[in-house]
Amino acid sequence: MRLSSVIVGLSVCVTLLGCGSGSNPSELTFNKNPYPSTYRPLPQETFLIQNATVLTGTGERLETSDVLVVDGKISKVGKNLSADNAETIDGTGKWLTPGIIDVHSHLGAYPAPSVESHQDGNEITNPNTAEVWVEHSVWPQDPGFHTARAGGITTLQILPGSANLFGGRGVVLKNVPTTTVQAMKFPGAPYTLKMACGENPKRVYGNRNQTPGSRMGNMAGFRAAWARAVEYRANWEDFESGKISERPQRDLELETLRGVLDGEIMIHNHCYKAEEMAMMIDLGKEFGYHAGTFHHAVEAYKVADLLAENGNCAAMWPDWWGFKMEAYDMVLENIAIVDKPENSCSIVHSDSEDTIQRLNQEAAKVMFRANDNGFALKEEDVIQWITSNAAKSLGIDDKTGSIQTGKNADLVLWNQNPFSVYALADQVFIDGALVFDRFDRRYQPTSDFTLGQPGH
Amino acid sequence: MLKQNITAVLLSSLILALSNFALAQSTAVTNAKIYTGSTPAVLENATVVFENGKITAINPEKVVADTVIDGTDKIVTPGFIGSINALGLVEVGAVAATRDASSDKAGITFDPSYAFNAESTLLPLARTGGITGNIIVPHGMTDDFTGIASYVSTSSNLTATEINPVAVVAYIEPQSKGSRALKIQYIEEKLTQQQEKLNAPKDAKKDQDKEETPKSDEKILTKLLNKELPLLVITHRPADILQALTLKDKFSLDLIIAGANGAPAVAKQLADADVPVIISPMDNLPKSFDELHAKLGNAATLSSHELTVGLTVAGDSSHNLHQLRFSAGNAVANGLSYEAAIAAVTSNVAKAFALTAKGVIETGKDADLVVWSGDPLEFSSNIEHLWIGGKEQSLETRQDKLRDRYLTESELPPAYTQ
Repeated sequence: MRLSSVIVGLSVCVTLLGCGSGSNPSELTFNKNPYPSTYRPLPQETFLIQNATVLTGTGERLETSDVLVVDGKISKVGKNLSADNAETIDGTGKWLTPGIIDVHSHLGAYPAPSVESHQDGNEITNPNTAEVWVEHSVWPQDPGFHTARAGGITTLQILPGSANLFGGRGVVLKNVPTTTVQAMKFPGAPYTLKMACGENPKRVYGNRNQTPGSRMGNMAGFRAAWARAVEYRANWEDFESGKISERPQRDLELETLRGVLDGEIMIHNHCYKAEEMAMMIDLGKEFGYHAGTFHHAVEAYKVADLLAENGNCAAMWPDWWGFKMEAYDMVLENIAIVDKPENSCSIVHSDSEDTIQRLNQEAAKVMFRANDNGFALKEEDVIQWITSNAAKSLGIDDKTGSIQTGKNADLVLWNQNPFSVYALADQVFIDGALVFDRFDRRYQPTSDFTLGQPGH
Repeated sequence: MLKQNITAVLLSSLILALSNFALAQSTAVTNAKIYTGSTPAVLENATVVFENGKITAINPEKVVADTVIDGTDKIVTPGFIGSINALGLVEVGAVAATRDASSDKAGITFDPSYAFNAESTLLPLARTGGITGNIIVPHGMTDDFTGIASYVSTSSNLTATEINPVAVVAYIEPQSKGSRALKIQYIEEKLTQQQEKLNAPKDAKKDQDKEETPKSDEKILTKLLNKELPLLVITHRPADILQALTLKDKFSLDLIIAGANGAPAVAKQLADADVPVIISPMDNLPKSFDELHAKLGNAATLSSHELTVGLTVAGDSSHNLHQLRFSAGNAVANGLSYEAAIAAVTSNVAKAFALTAKGVIETGKDADLVVWSGDPLEFSSNIEHLWIGGKEQSLETRQDKLRDRYLTESELPPAYTQ
């Protein structure tokens, strides 16, 4: 809520007043959105998908149903729909789901080819780099955006890496082929801040003989930063309310942390272990922000109730494990166990240019293994892990992640049940525009990088 | 204390006796759909019988067995064979003390199978993916060869592990320093020197009365040159695959190419030379300039050239080896025939590494068998029985124990649930 009003306010500020340089510095401080989205949908059509099995992303499964898309929005969902001037798409035998959302990707920031010049995903120079924005590293020509789209990915969050306690701002992108990052930025999506618990920060900086070199060093680093952010925020609020007349010095690092304290920026926290997630929840309470979404939460099943009680999402792999100690206690049913309590928010994420292409399959692994062991999960439940729950985690669930009237028409039409290993995305739509078609080369965009290369 | 020990000894001998007894028993799986990994590829309503670790009958006229398992609506396959990983040579990737697949001193004599640990928790998880055997490979920075690849069974029984050397490994990869050319040259040079040594007439030797004992690296080079071991080249780029084919030609080597996502560009040459390839069918991004040909359809393309195609899992295929069946399923989704996909995780891998008793369901072959509840390549199926050398294997994993601990309702903390 607060965020959208901020963004509206900002756009006014940008277009009418030119932001900050003007006459009233105590009111208009500085532009919080200096790299605004220039996203425009690809050519949209009015179309009607008929007789598909529809997984709405809200827990419902509609057999032999129709979805009408008008002006890039979902206009109607039901049976035997008709519409003038609508192109019809036969969905018989096919399954329709919301566009798939990955909350954890490094596409563009660690692109293919993975050469030295492309290692732009992590500013590993200081344990706190809250001042960096990963959108400034994203290469829109990463071929991985295209392969992800062919797997149904319509929205994705790009995060900085996990070497630092504060890795910097993440960005939510629409998976459209563009030449600029701004043209991919999801309009109205909040900024995010990447934090990292555990082994990575303490190893990277401990090896340099600097803090943090231990898990308690990690916590001390978090607390020191938030303590400064609270001070920073208070100074600015005094200035903004006119209590003090001297404008505080701007600090890009603390500006990001203040955004979190103000509820404008959402936390996305690389955090594997049960006891560390519990610690991070309390850290948020100590300084007055919400601990957000835990990523790679391999041990989330050990604290599933705690996560649900505190309204934390957990984004997880179905079965990656063993690459380090904090990933040793994997269970194949993790995502299902986290999903079980009331008010839970279980998410399947990829953190991979490979599995981002098959989040449906990643979710399928969990569904079947959980059902082998006492769960009774259905496709309509599980689809939420890669659509609506992911949208909630990113603060965009009012716009995408479900097939409901008024939502963005981000859709995937699958050739069969998407939780089969043989399922393929036939068509992918973003805001009602066809962005991928498995049967039509004209809708199979490719990267500049692969164009003219052997094999392409 | 003493009494306890005696009881323990008696008990363990009893268990040993029982297990020997069990081994001598015959088992039949009846009325199943059997994918043989051979020809014919599929047998409907079929029966397989095994005893003493070997398959003794397929579709006998009368089923006589001590244990008969009804396979109605089930699928039986040969045990799947993983490859190109460090299963049993690593427990936790980032914990150096648990890693034994690589060494600074790697070279042609490096044989990591000496460090194979049948008690690794990775093995039971691999078995839940139908894996009964696996090819472990060494890695490490070397000037030429990297070491010995071995076949290992996935049994967790310390004394039941089968370990057989199956190849000499060389990587031809992008170099962060220097040139890959030198590596290929060194490999060629080593083989040339050894060939000259073997071909040298006895009387030309300087020291005639003293037969020189070959060094251990020379023995392995001789095995390559005598085709006692194939050369396994791990590489992607078509140009490098052609270099490997040139080595094969020049020294009459048996050759296997793994990695190989550039193989479609040289499929004809590989087919003409009858060289098997092991690929990950999920590779479809140009992660390096060597991998521009990576495509989801590569398995199907190579198969259409009648190449022997084996499949493996991309990335950390030690911890993730249980996913092999899903890799094969994805290959099918992208054009590979179902029978070819089954062969690509069973008989083709066995054929590539000359494992003559593995990978097929035929009389006389090893009883490495899996009974599946349904389509083995689908997420929905799971394993009901798995035998290695005719011995039924546990399918319980450490992951299962952790799950059950945290799903058990108790007044006491989870630590009390064993």
